[in-house]
Amino acid sequence: MKLRIKLTLLALLSLQLFSYGQEQLVLSGTVTDSSNIPIPGANIIVMGTNRGVYTDFDGNFIINASKGEVLQISYIGYETKDITITDNTTYAVVLKESASELDEVVIIGYGTQKKSHLTGAISKVVNEDLEQIAVSRVDDALVGQVSGVNVQATEGEAGSAPTIRIRGTASISGALSPLIVVDGQVVDNDYLGALDMNNIASFEVLKDAASTAIYGSRGSRGVIMISTKMGKEGKTRFSYNTYTGYKRARQSDSYYFSVKKEAQTELEATGTLSDRTMYKQQIGIDTDWQDIIFTGGVITSHSIGARGGSKNTKFSVSGNYTHDEGVLLKDDFKKYNITLKIDTKVSDLFSFGANITPTFTYKDRFDGYAHDILRQPPWLPIYHNSNTIQYVNRDIYPDVQIGNYAVQRHFDDYDLYGNGSSVNISSTSNTNPAAKILERDRTEDRFKLYGSVYGQFNITKDLSFKTVFSGDFQNAKNRRWQGVEASRNGAAAAQLDISSQNVLHLTTESYLTFNKKFNDHEVNAIAGVSSETWDTEYESVRGTGYDSDLLQTITAATTISLAESEEYEKRLFSLFGRLNYAYKDKYLVSLSLRRDGNSALGPSNKYGFFPAASVGWNLAREDFLKNSKTINNLKFRFSYGITGNETFNTGSNLIDNYPYLALLEPSTAVVDGSLVSAFNPVNIANPGLQWERTKEINPGVDFGFFGNRITGSFEYYEKESDKLILYNPVSTTTGFANALVNIGEVRNEGYELEVTTRNIMSSDFRWSTTIIGSMNKNTLVDFADSNGQILSVDSKRAAEWINLEGEPISSFYGWVVDEEISPEHILDPYHPVGSQASGVYVKDLNGDGLIDNDDRTILGNPYPDLLWSITNDFKIGNFDFSFMFQGSHGAEVRNMADQYVFNHFNSTQQYNLQTTPNQDFIREKIFTNSIIQDASYVALRNVNIGYNFPRNLLERTKVFTRARIYASGQNLMYLTADGYTGFNPESIISTSATTYGYQLGGSPIFSTISLGLNLEF
Amino acid sequence: MKFLKIVLPIVFIFIAISCNKDFLEPQPISAISEEGYFKTDEELESGILNMYDGIQGINDRNTSSNHSIQYEFYLTEIRTDNTRGKGSVDSDADQAQFVNYNIRATNGIVADYYRSMYNIIYRANVVLDNLDVASEANSAKFEGEAKFVRAYAYFNLVRLFGDVPLVEKVIAPLETEVSYTRVESSTIYKLIEDDLLTAVANLDDNTKNRASKAAAQALMAKVYLTLGEYSQAQTLCESIMNPARGFSLESNFKDVFYSEGNDEVIFAIGYEPDLIKDSQGFSSEWLNAVGYTAGVNYVTAEMREAFDQFGGERTLYSIRQDVIQPSEYQVAKYIPNGDENLGISPIASDPRLAGNDWIVIRYADVLLMHVEAILAGAEATTSSNAIESFKEVRNRAGITTEVTTITKEDLLNERRVELAFENQRFFDLLRFGEAQNVLSAYSTENKYNFTSSDLLLPIPSSEINLSKGLLQQNPGY
Repeated sequence: MKLRIKLTLLALLSLQLFSYGQEQLVLSGTVTDSSNIPIPGANIIVMGTNRGVYTDFDGNFIINASKGEVLQISYIGYETKDITITDNTTYAVVLKESASELDEVVIIGYGTQKKSHLTGAISKVVNEDLEQIAVSRVDDALVGQVSGVNVQATEGEAGSAPTIRIRGTASISGALSPLIVVDGQVVDNDYLGALDMNNIASFEVLKDAASTAIYGSRGSRGVIMISTKMGKEGKTRFSYNTYTGYKRARQSDSYYFSVKKEAQTELEATGTLSDRTMYKQQIGIDTDWQDIIFTGGVITSHSIGARGGSKNTKFSVSGNYTHDEGVLLKDDFKKYNITLKIDTKVSDLFSFGANITPTFTYKDRFDGYAHDILRQPPWLPIYHNSNTIQYVNRDIYPDVQIGNYAVQRHFDDYDLYGNGSSVNISSTSNTNPAAKILERDRTEDRFKLYGSVYGQFNITKDLSFKTVFSGDFQNAKNRRWQGVEASRNGAAAAQLDISSQNVLHLTTESYLTFNKKFNDHEVNAIAGVSSETWDTEYESVRGTGYDSDLLQTITAATTISLAESEEYEKRLFSLFGRLNYAYKDKYLVSLSLRRDGNSALGPSNKYGFFPAASVGWNLAREDFLKNSKTINNLKFRFSYGITGNETFNTGSNLIDNYPYLALLEPSTAVVDGSLVSAFNPVNIANPGLQWERTKEINPGVDFGFFGNRITGSFEYYEKESDKLILYNPVSTTTGFANALVNIGEVRNEGYELEVTTRNIMSSDFRWSTTIIGSMNKNTLVDFADSNGQILSVDSKRAAEWINLEGEPISSFYGWVVDEEISPEHILDPYHPVGSQASGVYVKDLNGDGLIDNDDRTILGNPYPDLLWSITNDFKIGNFDFSFMFQGSHGAEVRNMADQYVFNHFNSTQQYNLQTTPNQDFIREKIFTNSIIQDASYVALRNVNIGYNFPRNLLERTKVFTRARIYASGQNLMYLTADGYTGFNPESIISTSATTYGYQLGGSPIFSTISLGLNLEF
Repeated sequence: MKFLKIVLPIVFIFIAISCNKDFLEPQPISAISEEGYFKTDEELESGILNMYDGIQGINDRNTSSNHSIQYEFYLTEIRTDNTRGKGSVDSDADQAQFVNYNIRATNGIVADYYRSMYNIIYRANVVLDNLDVASEANSAKFEGEAKFVRAYAYFNLVRLFGDVPLVEKVIAPLETEVSYTRVESSTIYKLIEDDLLTAVANLDDNTKNRASKAAAQALMAKVYLTLGEYSQAQTLCESIMNPARGFSLESNFKDVFYSEGNDEVIFAIGYEPDLIKDSQGFSSEWLNAVGYTAGVNYVTAEMREAFDQFGGERTLYSIRQDVIQPSEYQVAKYIPNGDENLGISPIASDPRLAGNDWIVIRYADVLLMHVEAILAGAEATTSSNAIESFKEVRNRAGITTEVTTITKEDLLNERRVELAFENQRFFDLLRFGEAQNVLSAYSTENKYNFTSSDLLLPIPSSEINLSKGLLQQNPGY
C-alpha cells in the first residue's frame, strides 16, 4: 500500500493524541440486559461532548466524566438509557430490551416504518460485515443474504454486473432487474457498480406487491432500497477500511486438452498414430489456453470516511478507491467514489439537506470470448520460438519471425517424412487467439453522479411537507481499438470505435407526511406527486484503415466508416399516497395507491393505477401471549397489490421509447455513384401498448421464540403477471421479424424462509446461525397465439426453446440423446485435439420408427427451484468467525461452450456417410440434450475470520476506538453438478426471457482470499 | 398553518404543470413518425429509394440482420457445380450445407434470404399503399418503380422456394392467413407479370441503380423464358437491343466489373466503399480468410474445366489462383482489395467494406436471353439472329471460331462462363431443365447428397414453427 498515505494517517493520529486529557472522574461499570447477560459493544457517550466508549466483551466500560454530566448508553435492540453522574464512580446499567428489537425501523418507499408494524414482505440486510467481502460491486456481496433474491454471477469479468432476480422471472421483454433506490432516490441499476460498500448502512429489499406498489409501474421486479451511512451527533468519527485479495479462476477440467493425452487415446483406440498427431507431437508445444486467459488477479480497496455532527447538523464524507484486476487476461476495473452528505435542522419548522456522489469507473475489457480461445489446439504456441519457426510454411509466409504470433496456418503443408508429402493441421485461418485479446484495447469509462437537495417543512407537529429535487447523470464512454495484429486481416481490419452516451435523469417530488399517535391509534400517511425525465444522447464513430498501432485516434483513420448520433426522451409522472394504521400495535392496516403516466405508452393507455392493501396481526401482543416466555413475537400478515412493468428492451432505443408510433429512420442507398437518403420503417407500431400488470398475494408470518433465540419469517407468494409486453417474433412476410404486443400470463409462486437462531449466547462465546431458503416455480399460464412457439437465438447455430403453457416461460427443446456415434464412423475423430462428434443418435420418442420433429421434447429449464444459504457466525473473545454455504438447485443451462470447445462445428467431426449405420437417427448435438447441463451448485461463498483489538489496548493509543483485522475468502469451495463441463454454471448471456439459459462459455467463477483492516478513530 | 397555505399551492402547481399533455408525449428526436409522413412526392420518393437500401442488405455478421443479396451466392452459385466452400474443414455448418446439399430447414442463410425478400416486398408495398398522394406527374413512375422491385423479389422467391405466401399490400402480424398460406407459383407469376407490365409501361431508361424500362423488360424477358413464352421474351430482348437504347458490350471484359455504370450494365445495386451502411461484404467472403468465413464461393474443378474449354479471354478476369492456397481458385470478379497482376486497384481500405456494385442484369445476359428465346426450348437453332447475338458475346471473349448451329448445351455453357458467379447458374439450370441431371452427376462425382427435392429450398423452420401447422414445408425437409 501507499506508504505516503500511511504516514499521513499516522501524523493525523498523533495530532489527536495531544488534544486529549482533562482531569475528570474515572467511571467504570457494566452494561447488562435484564437477564444479567453482559452487553458487549454498547455505546456510551457523554452527552454534549465528543467523548464516548464501547463496552468490552464482558460489558465493562471505563470513561472519564465530571459530576453532573449525563451518560447516554445505547445498544441496538435495547432502549437507550441516560444516567446523570453523581459522586458514584461505578455503575451497573441494565438496558431494557426495546419490545424485542421490534422497534427497529425499516425504510420503505417515501418513508420509514417500524418493523413491528410491517405488513408486507421486506427483508433488511444491515451492513455489519458485508464490506469485508472482497468484491468490486456491492451487488456481488448480496449473494445468499436475502430470501427470494437470486444474485447470479452471470459474467465474471472484473466490474461486470451480476444478474439479480427477485421472486423469479415475471416478465418476458420487460426489465427483470429490481428497481434501485438509494436514499430515496431512484437510480439506474448500473449504480450498483458505482457505490462503495463501506458507505452503505443497510439494504431493504421490498419483495411483495403491497410493498412495491408505491413504486407503481416499476414495482413488479422488486425494489432494493439502499441507505447510506450518516454521521451521528458527537465527536467526528474517522474510519479507514482496506483489504487486498487474491483472485483465482475456477478452471474446467473438461476443457483441458493436451497433445500427449490425445495421442495416447488415439494409440489405445487404433494402435497407430495418424500423421497429424505425429506432427503435433513433433512441434513440442502443449499450451493450456485456460492458463493463458485465466490469469487471476489482485483486488484492493481503500476507503476513508469522516462522519459526525452537532445536534442540528450532521454530515458524512467518504472516499473510496477500488482496483480489481479481474481473473481474465487484460480485464481490469478501477473505481473512485466520493460521497458528501449533509443534513441540517434550521429550526423546528424547517430543515434541509443535500448530498452528492460522483463516481468514476474505468474498465478494461477482456475483448473476446473464452469459448473461442479454448477451442484452439494445444500444439499452438502464442509466439514462435526458435523451434516452432522451422515448421512455418515459407512459401506462403516468408516474413514470419521468431517472436511473432504463431498462427495455425503457418504450420500447414508440412513435409513430415521428407518425401514431398504434406500434412495440414490447422482448423482455422484465424490469428493467434492470444493476439485477439492482447492486440485489442477495449475500455469502458463511466462518470456517474447522483445528488439531491431537499427541504422539509414541519407544518404542524404531525404534518410535514418534503420536496426533493434530485438527479443523476451518467456519461458512458466506450472505446475499442482493434490493432493491426488483432485479426487475420491485419492493417485492413484495424479499426477504432468510440462512443459516448449521456443520460440525464431528473426527478422532482413533493409529498406530505402525516404521523399521529393518539390513545391506541397510530396513523402514518403520505401523499405526493413526482415527475421524472430521462434525456439520452448517444454518439458513435468508427474509423477504419490504420497502417500501424502508432496513432489510435479517429483523426489517424483513413476513413470514417460509421458516424451516428441519437437522442431520445422518456418521462414519467406520478401521484402516490399511502395510509398505515396501527391499533394498539396489534392490528395493522396499510393501503397505498399510485397512478403513473408514462410517455412510452400510447394515448389510450398512458396511465395506470397500482393499488395495494395489507393487514397484520401481532398475536404476541395479545394479552394471552403478552407474558409468554416462549413466544416473544408472532405476527401474521397478508398483502395484496398490483404493480406494473413498463420497460422493455427490443434492441432499438427508438422503439423502446416510442413504441406506440410507427417510426421512420433515415436510411441510405447508392444511386449512380452517390448516396441518396431515404426513410425506412423500423417497427410495427402498437398504439394500444400498455403496462404489464402483476397481481400478487403474500401471506406471511414473523416469529420470535424462546426469548428471541429463534427469530425469522416465512412467506408464501403467488404472483400473476399478465398483459406481458413481448417483442414477439412474427412472420417475416410482414416485413418485420418482431412486434411489440401485450399477451399472456406468467405465474411465479414460492416460499421463502429466513431463520436466525442464537445457539450460544454466553459472554465470551456467541454462535448464531442464519438459514435462508427460497423456492420459486415459474409457469407460463397463457401465451395466446404464441403458445407452443419454438424459438432460437442464433439462426446460424439454432438451438431451440419452446414457450409452452403449463411449463416455465422458457424450456429447452430438442431431441433426447440415445447414444454417441462410435469414433470409427467419425471422419477424423482425433483432429482437432479434444474434438467430439458433432452428431449423436437420438431417441425415437413416439416410437414411429423414424426421427422427426415430433420426437422433440422439453429438455429442461433455466430457472432454479431452490436457492439456499446457511451462515454461521461465531464470536469468541475478540475473534469473530463466520462462513456461508450457498447453493442453487434445479436449473439447467444450454452450455454452448461445449459446441465450440469440443469442435462440434468442425466437419472432420461429422460421421462418415458411407459407413455409418442408422444415419436417419442422428441429429446434431446442438439440437439435443447433449449440451443441456445441470447448473446446480453448492458454494462456500464466504469465510471470514477477524480479530478486534481489545479495548484496553486501543485506549492506550488514545486514538483508535476500533481496530480490526480480518481474513476473508470467497468461493473457496465450489461444487458443480455431475455432467457440467464449463467453468461457471451461473453464467448466462442476456437473451430474451423466452430464450433464457444460453451459456456461451462466459467467464469463470473465481475464488478470492483477502486480508483486511478496519480502523476507527 | 401559514406554511400549509404556502405549500399546498406549490403541490398543486406541480400537478398542473406536470399534467400538461405534452409532458407525457415527447416527439421522437432521432426518427420521424409515419403519421403525417408520405404526403408529398418527395416523401414518397424517399420510400422508393428505401427499397434499394433493402436490396443492398446489411453488411454485418449479425444473424438477425437482413443481408439480402449479399448472401444470394450461397443459394445460387455454391448450390451448383460452379463454386463450393474452400476446403470443407473451414466452413461453418450453415455455409457447408449448400456445398453438400444437406440444407436444413433451420439454415440461417435461407431464413435470412426469405426474410430479406419479404422485407423488400414490404418496402415496395409501403410505396404502393401510399401511391394516392403522388402527383399525377410522378404517380405512374413511382408505381412502375415499386412494382419492378416487388416483381424482382417475388421472382427470386418463387424460383428458390416454389409456392410462397403472396403479400400484395402492407399486412399486420395478425393476418396469419396471408403470412402462412403458400400460393400457387402460377399466381405468383401472374403478379410478377402484371407488376412488370406496369413497370415497362411507366418507366424510362435514365438510371442504372434504380428501376428502368430496360431493367423491367430484361427481367420480364427472363420471366417469360422461365414460363416458356419465348416469342414475348424475344420481343422484349430485341427492344433492349435497339441501338437507340444505348446499351452495348464493354470491349474489355474487365471493365464490366471494374468500371461502374458502364454501358453494359442495365440494372445494378449500388454500393459505396468504407461505409458500414452502404458497402457490401460478399466480395471479401470470396477471398481467403478475409471476410468472416475462411473463404467461400471458391471455384470448383468442374468450373475451371468449363473455363478451359469455353472461357477464352474472360477467364483471366473470372477466376484466379489463390496465392495462399495455390491449389485453390477464387472468383476474380468484384475483387475488393485489388490484384496487381490483373491491374485492379483496391476499392476499399477495408475489403470487408467493399464498394463494388452488384450487377443484376447486363447486356450480355440480354443477348444470350435473345438466343434462348429464339431457341425456344428446341435442342438447336441455326437462326442468324440468334447466331449474331451469340457471337457478339463470344467475340468479346476473343473466341472467334465460326458458329453455324447453337445447341442448348452450347448456350448453357456459354451462359455459365460469361455470367459465372453472377448468381445465374442455378436459375439457368432450372430454366434449361438440366438442373436434375447436371447437379446429380456433380454430386455423385463429389460424394455430395443431392436429391431432386434439393431443387427447392426449405421454407425457414422459424416460419413453420410460428405458423403452428398452417404453413407447409417443401418435400424432403
